[in-house]
Amino acid sequence: MSVQEYLEKHLLSRKIEEAVNAAVRAKAPDPVLFIAGHMRRAAPAVITRVRARQILDGHGAPAVEVELHTNKAIHRASAAGSGALEGAAADAAGAAERRKILAKVVADSVRMINDKVSEALVGMDPQEQSQIDQAIMDLNKARHKAELGVGANAMLAVSIAACKAGAAEKEVPLYKHIANLVGKSATTLPVPAITVINGGKHAGNGLPIQEIMILPIGAKNFEEAMQMGSETYHHLKDVILEKYGSDSCNIGDHGGFAPNISSISEGLDLVIAAIERAGYNGRIKLAIDVAATDFCTGKKYDLEFKSTKKSGQNFKTADDMIEIYSQLCSEYPLVSIEQPFDKDDWEHSKKLTTLELCQVAGDDLLMSDPERIKRAVNEYTCNALVLKANQVGTVTEAIEVVKQAKDAHWGVMVSHRSGDTEDSFIADLAVGASAGQIKAGAPCRGECLTNYNQLLRIEGELGSEGVYAGENWRTVNTS
Amino acid sequence: MAATIQSVKARQIFDSRGNPTVEVDVFCSDGTFARAAVPSGASTGVYEALELRDGGSYYLGKGVSKAVNNVNSVIGPALIGKDPTAQTEIDNFMVQQLDGTKNEWGWCKQKLGANAILAVSLAVCKAGASIKRIPLYQHIANLAGNKQLVLPVPAFNVINGGSHAGNKLAMQEFMILPTGAASFKEAMKMGVEVYHHLKSVIKKKYGQDATNVGDEGGFAPNIQENKEGLELLKTAIEKAGYTGKVVIGMDVAASEFYSDKDQTYDLNFKEENNDGSQKISGDSLKNVYKSFVSEYPIVSIEDPFDQDDWVHYAKMTEEIGEQVQIVGDDLLVTNPTRVAKAIKEKSCNALLLKVNQIGSVTESIEAVKMSKRAGWGVMTSHRSGETEDTFIADLAVGLSTGQIKTGAPCRSERLAKYNQLLRIEEELGAIAVYAGAKFRAPVEPY
Repeated sequence: MSVQEYLEKHLLSRKIEEAVNAAVRAKAPDPVLFIAGHMRRAAPAVITRVRARQILDGHGAPAVEVELHTNKAIHRASAAGSGALEGAAADAAGAAERRKILAKVVADSVRMINDKVSEALVGMDPQEQSQIDQAIMDLNKARHKAELGVGANAMLAVSIAACKAGAAEKEVPLYKHIANLVGKSATTLPVPAITVINGGKHAGNGLPIQEIMILPIGAKNFEEAMQMGSETYHHLKDVILEKYGSDSCNIGDHGGFAPNISSISEGLDLVIAAIERAGYNGRIKLAIDVAATDFCTGKKYDLEFKSTKKSGQNFKTADDMIEIYSQLCSEYPLVSIEQPFDKDDWEHSKKLTTLELCQVAGDDLLMSDPERIKRAVNEYTCNALVLKANQVGTVTEAIEVVKQAKDAHWGVMVSHRSGDTEDSFIADLAVGASAGQIKAGAPCRGECLTNYNQLLRIEGELGSEGVYAGENWRTVNTS
Repeated sequence: MAATIQSVKARQIFDSRGNPTVEVDVFCSDGTFARAAVPSGASTGVYEALELRDGGSYYLGKGVSKAVNNVNSVIGPALIGKDPTAQTEIDNFMVQQLDGTKNEWGWCKQKLGANAILAVSLAVCKAGASIKRIPLYQHIANLAGNKQLVLPVPAFNVINGGSHAGNKLAMQEFMILPTGAASFKEAMKMGVEVYHHLKSVIKKKYGQDATNVGDEGGFAPNIQENKEGLELLKTAIEKAGYTGKVVIGMDVAASEFYSDKDQTYDLNFKEENNDGSQKISGDSLKNVYKSFVSEYPIVSIEDPFDQDDWVHYAKMTEEIGEQVQIVGDDLLVTNPTRVAKAIKEKSCNALLLKVNQIGSVTESIEAVKMSKRAGWGVMTSHRSGETEDTFIADLAVGLSTGQIKTGAPCRSERLAKYNQLLRIEEELGAIAVYAGAKFRAPVEPY
């Protein structure tokens, strides 16, 4: 190819002239830098490589990190590791065995991404999220058929990295790109559901439910919500210290305290005391994540499942549980109950939802699965979705289930996973999808705060355009 | 034409304890963007550079809006047009001219706040690396004149006591160091495995409550005396199969339980109804350490005495300093003047490098160079309040400190640093060198 042919083939002279003219028009203080930027933007981004490695999540467990290379930049994402081990086989294994299984799953995922996924995505335009995600889903289906193990988390990391690359190519922030993918231009800062007390199977106390959270619904913006949340959290530490001693001030998996309590009321009373000390009465509401599947035996719920000396008084029927929840909703500013019944108990979840006492959020019940959501919408089984992106598998699928829930006038709580990393994608997802709520743990532990910090940056960036969900936390952007 | 700083913007974000801290974004004329956030400590030495907090009731007094304003209104405007690759010039400008406050130990950053200055210093350093199109660790190595990069031995903080934890343990930290690993990646594997074995041992012995974690991801079981912590570690290392390959370090933070009045150390300081019966002299405390060292594979003891107890530091270093690294944290606070004094008086033989104790990248590098020329070890360190910023990982590699202490393999603000070191080792490929057993002196002084 001659010089002239090369110049003509790439329209090089014209493109350079256009760039020079643009620099002159803009009277750029540094024309060379301006021209370089202009030329860079003129070239379409294309995926050139996808590379994965093993890193460690917030629990020191193996997780997958992905670097998606385009001809312009490298975009990185990681996704929670331990969520990949749900299922009967994983439940039966001991802790050491689970770690071995997880290490193998992650190693397999790394190889697959470096090989098959990279091959499938090279050449694609990172702005075409749905096409990329479809390719990922196709590979995942083929993989399941070959019984190569669970890959949802690893695939999610690829999808997120592509989403970041797409945002960069469009020169918009990630949350704006997500809003565009959703098909709406509005963005909303979510109300944080801040974990303050941990119970359930991962905490050493007798509290049967998994989490108690505070929602600063009465804040005027996200920054104030975090101020209210972190102040209340620190006051709670003082309350617990005074009442239970310094042993109780260490933290659980999501950064919450695990004081030596054994009843829900006891936990809620502690939180109320902290809110009062912080001076936020009436402006902070409460939420609980029951994770009832963990203590359901047959059709009964064992509120003493963690106790070695059972009183026999705490085996409850599902109707008893409804009575308990009703009582809690009338005695406390409890506005959201997550997973109040076993994941297969659609009947009683519906009964509770029908009472319209509070938000009833489906976690295990729905698993962010479109078919289960559809059924739950039709049967009025719950009225909110807990969205865990790695339960769906790709960004596109996550967006679809958000739309599905919003179309049904449900609340949407974007949620972290046990075993998160320092990736803050769910913060941008919550804003871009106008979820209205985000559950990212306590104002403690880096994997929790990375999301809250990102939301602070987003709110700062939006300036006067930033809208905090506040009182509309359940109804943002429903159509 | 070289890229210059176009704007500097600060904001308040949260550290890993839910306390406010300063984050800074630096934008340059070539499109380069860099961001950094500063850590903060819970047990701070009195000689540290000043961390500016707002006071009052807002965030329980820990707000940093004044420091943020100092960046946005004072430092930022003054740096516009400057070359971000000129780290020393920018740091000296901020420290000596814009702030200018001084005490007997050097520049103390009392006017603008060390948290304001450091956040900018770190962000500028990152911007400088981007502009030069080299990795941050390489940029830091170049700034220091270091020709050989080394991956540090991680010192995992796995048992917490002292100010950081709710138990009665006086000594602040017990750490495990995988000096026998062949690479950083293997060191992480060893550390994670020992950590999880330790978790099992603690759960069995103290109940599941005891597997909740402290500020840096370590466990804080309700043990009554310090030796018990060492026994737990020994057991966990054995169960993991790494005896001889994973050794032990301690961070005593003795200033926390020193009584200046009668010059004693109270190992029972966390007991509510403390009768003072466990107060001992500096010499007795030294003998406690020596007995530990003779019985356990302890290779490092940090802050064994009060920050002003130079005499006992020197005695300890003289007696067992060859086999055990004696690390100065509160004693030195990464301050070149105090480091010089300690070198002269042979008070210790290792520096704990905490960038926010001194307040700028340039001064941190100076303290490290002084230490290395004196034949000392250098342990790069996090603080108990960290963010997802990974600067100290690149710092440890760039300065070839040989050691990094950034918590347990738990909590992502700790793992973010370890994950960054995994990336760096992968990036270096065949030329990657892990400090291993040479962690105290991995490279020739530079």
